[in-house]
Amino acid sequence: MKTPALLALALLAVSMHASAQDAAGTPQQSPAPASGTTQVKLCDNKTTVQVSKDAPKTREEGQKISDSLMAQWKAANPGKDWVQAEVEAHQVVTPEDNSKLVGTGQSSTYGAVTQQDVQVWNNETYKMAVYGSTVFHSSDELGSDIAVSCDMCHPRAANTHPETYPKFQPQLGRVALLRDMINWCIEHPVRGKVLAPDDPKMRALEAYILAQRKGVPLDYGKR
Amino acid sequence: MNNSGRAGPLRTALLIGVAIFINQAMGAEAPATAPHGAMAMAEQQQRLDQLISSSTAPPPGVDPVAWAAIYIPPGNELTADRIALGRKLYFDTRLSKDGTVACATCHDASRGFTDHRNVSEGIGDHLGRRSAPTTMNAALFQSMFWDGRAVSLDEQAKLPILNPIEMGHPDAASAMASVGTDPAYQELFQKAYGRAPNYDDLGRAIASFERTLIFLDAPFDRFAAGDSKAISPAAQRGFALFNGKARCVSCHMINSSNPIGTDNLFHNIGVSARKQNFEALAHQALGALKDGSDVDALDKLALETDMSELGRFLVSKKRGDIGAFKTEQLRNVGITAPYMHDGSLHSLWDVLDHYNKGGETNPYLDGGIEPLNLSEDEINDVVAFLFTLTDSRFAAQNEAAMREQQAYAAKKRPFRDNALAHREVLPFEQRVLGPAGLK
Amino acid sequence: MSDDMNDKLKIPHIRSVETRHLEEREALFRGLRNLDRRAFLKASGGAAAAAVAAGVTYPFHSFLPINVAYADEGGAAQGFNFAYISDSHLYVKKTNERFVRQLLRAVDDVNSLDPQPDFVLYGGDLAQLGRREELDMGAQILKSLKAPVHMMAGEHDWYYDMGEHWNTLFGPEHYSFDHKGVHFVVLMSVHEKDFWSARGMSPAERMHTVAGLDNAVQSAFEVGAPQREWLKQDLDKVSATTPVIVFSHSPLYKLYRPWNFWTDDAEDVQAILQRFDHVTVLHGHTHQVLTNRIGNIQFHGMLSTAWPWPYAPQGLPALTVQMNRPNPFDANDGLGDGSVAVHPDGLVDKLYNLWNRNPMQVKASYLSSGGKSDIPVAPTLSSY
Repeated sequence: MKTPALLALALLAVSMHASAQDAAGTPQQSPAPASGTTQVKLCDNKTTVQVSKDAPKTREEGQKISDSLMAQWKAANPGKDWVQAEVEAHQVVTPEDNSKLVGTGQSSTYGAVTQQDVQVWNNETYKMAVYGSTVFHSSDELGSDIAVSCDMCHPRAANTHPETYPKFQPQLGRVALLRDMINWCIEHPVRGKVLAPDDPKMRALEAYILAQRKGVPLDYGKR
Repeated sequence: MNNSGRAGPLRTALLIGVAIFINQAMGAEAPATAPHGAMAMAEQQQRLDQLISSSTAPPPGVDPVAWAAIYIPPGNELTADRIALGRKLYFDTRLSKDGTVACATCHDASRGFTDHRNVSEGIGDHLGRRSAPTTMNAALFQSMFWDGRAVSLDEQAKLPILNPIEMGHPDAASAMASVGTDPAYQELFQKAYGRAPNYDDLGRAIASFERTLIFLDAPFDRFAAGDSKAISPAAQRGFALFNGKARCVSCHMINSSNPIGTDNLFHNIGVSARKQNFEALAHQALGALKDGSDVDALDKLALETDMSELGRFLVSKKRGDIGAFKTEQLRNVGITAPYMHDGSLHSLWDVLDHYNKGGETNPYLDGGIEPLNLSEDEINDVVAFLFTLTDSRFAAQNEAAMREQQAYAAKKRPFRDNALAHREVLPFEQRVLGPAGLK
Repeated sequence: MSDDMNDKLKIPHIRSVETRHLEEREALFRGLRNLDRRAFLKASGGAAAAAVAAGVTYPFHSFLPINVAYADEGGAAQGFNFAYISDSHLYVKKTNERFVRQLLRAVDDVNSLDPQPDFVLYGGDLAQLGRREELDMGAQILKSLKAPVHMMAGEHDWYYDMGEHWNTLFGPEHYSFDHKGVHFVVLMSVHEKDFWSARGMSPAERMHTVAGLDNAVQSAFEVGAPQREWLKQDLDKVSATTPVIVFSHSPLYKLYRPWNFWTDDAEDVQAILQRFDHVTVLHGHTHQVLTNRIGNIQFHGMLSTAWPWPYAPQGLPALTVQMNRPNPFDANDGLGDGSVAVHPDGLVDKLYNLWNRNPMQVKASYLSSGGKSDIPVAPTLSSY
């Protein structure tokens, strides 16, 4: 059974998806307001760019126009759809559904768990994992000197086996937590700067990697 | 000795005086008074008395559980009698055919329990193919020799005695004839193993003695125990690089359960490739075989020729082991130069230069070896750290070695290649594209 | 101590370690002497000794010559070898020199084969983000191969300028040729339906989307109807008894859609290939040892020189013997190049030249027997 909380989230996602699609649609040509130039308008009817009539009608030139429109739209809509955009590209496993707790509760002080409580928990938890996904998939976010990101070796966090930590990692000469291995990967294959254990990016990376292994039993120490 | 059980000021002063004397004595390279450049055996034994007790308790900082698990073959539990017998044998030149070589010739107590040579010199001044590793802490390895072909010291100890270019006894009987008829030995063997002298017990006894050569009390250990002043800030930065950018720890694992800094594995870091390529080497072997050589000739080929450079491969037959040698321990590394299986690197700066440029390019190079882009300061820091791994009993010797290496490195850095180290020229680039390299 | 006594005391035969070492070495050299002399003398490298030592009699990478000169068995086809390098994912050197170095290592490997392979297949994804400079540098490096090269395109080469520069450098993306009685077809199997226009993506964004293996925004790979039509016509003139070897960047079957280990019209392509007695498909993209058989078609993956992929969480063909789980501390583990020994009947023994490990060979007889004979040696560490 789909939970109301998840449904709500999914609906939100779909509506955001739709608006993003509309906003970022194909450029349309409209009548020129000034002589010598053509105004090209994005399908949101707001974003425009002026193009010289003499501009060569090449694919490359066309792409420049489209790039310019997109850049403007993104600047005008900062962060509007980052969760949806990330989830669309990299499906992130959703957190445990807690809706069965709605209406329950053991203390009169706080009363019963509400639909809204569950939704907040769910949304915030998911967002952390989704942010982890953006870091995981971005060599820039990771600060890589060699344009390498985690997903290049670990698509959807495959073979990251977070359930096996802590374990003795011979090549580190010590017992490693998941974050130690993440940092090793950041320093060596990714060639970036290691993150502090409480760095928001480190926390989010852990969240994403653990999220993708939902349901796998813990098996610390496994080689 | 004062038996009051309490160290008075006089006694303390005396002890300090003795300690200073020892350190001074050990700071300088001992004059060679025995054949093949070794210190005289009697003098070595005196030094040893100053260095070790026969305690077999876990050294401080070493995990007792790990210590208890150290591999001692059944039937050769450590006893004082076995250690005493082994010690006598270790310094006995009769174990060589011509009476000039003892274990202590190449594993000299005054020279970091090695010989400070590139490759060792055996009877008749024969030179071997490999550098003598130190016998200090050798008991803590999982396998012996640079290619790991012996699983224990007990087995290892018996082989050089019968090697024609090391100690040169033709067989075990010959070796036993040289010592087994000595009444003193007969008594010692009887006490140690309850039977007449025999070659296997000889190996066991030498191993027992070597199991007491534990030197794990270094400034680094005090640092690891929480004394942040025990090593210099440079060495502390070096330790961070060791665990990070310089990637040392990937093979030189060091912790309280495995204090010597080795993964006990075998890696091709390209040292052999510097001298010859493996393809040519095998072609050479194949050429020799064309004439229908017999097995003896082939064996000689392997033991005494460049085939030795195939390393672990000769034992494991795995292709990934071509040109691979055992990860050496890091303990006392400051006083056990020269470095690598062929002793080809004189200083720790040379060692860092070798790794910094990504080893020596060859088709079997371990993939973990890649250019490190370490700066000169970073190299100095890692070297500073490595010198903190020398046992405090050799502090003066360590200091002298560091000064000597520093002076040498100031003049000579034969393995430095900044273009490779800083990734301007890539390994394989010139092999594939010629001197012009990539556009 | 006697062996008897050792047994009673349960003392391990420690002494035998050294003895065994000597015995094994003796056997090694005996084996070397007993090899076919002609092949033996041609064999190159310490690797030759490794082949013998491991009890291997097949043509090995770096010592290919052993047993590769197949006698003419009466048919039109002769046996021969070709090598491959694949999936190098080059950025320009100043962006990422590691992937450049790894391609150089593979070229060095292939150039040291003695004798040289008849040709080298480049399996696609030469570039990482399809930029001119990436492709140009890749072309410069591949030029230093001693043997002739046949190029195949991958999605990383393609989606910045839709193949324009790749075509300029290497010619058409699908073509066929004949070699020693075998008909070779090179396909462009990574066409994608337009997902970018509706999203207003720039070329860089389009390329970046395709470059993410687990990016779900992109479409599925396909050969596409026009190219299938070309394939039909190309094969019309080829008799059913002629061995056919097809190169495609993506596997020409459906393994795991989320990572595009997949070709959407695979069944249609397989149908076109169905009438031939022996068909082998070699594909890149999956960066791993991967083996499959569907009817008359045998499939082999190729190793990458850039990074290894994990095995897909589902859909792995039953015939696949996994390679060892790569050790991340060895940046070259799970990588390599390889070679293919083509039998006179057109079936192939596929060799994965895994750097720093023993090579893995997947023989035609393993596939023909449905996995019953010549089973490749299983690894010690499989995927989690």
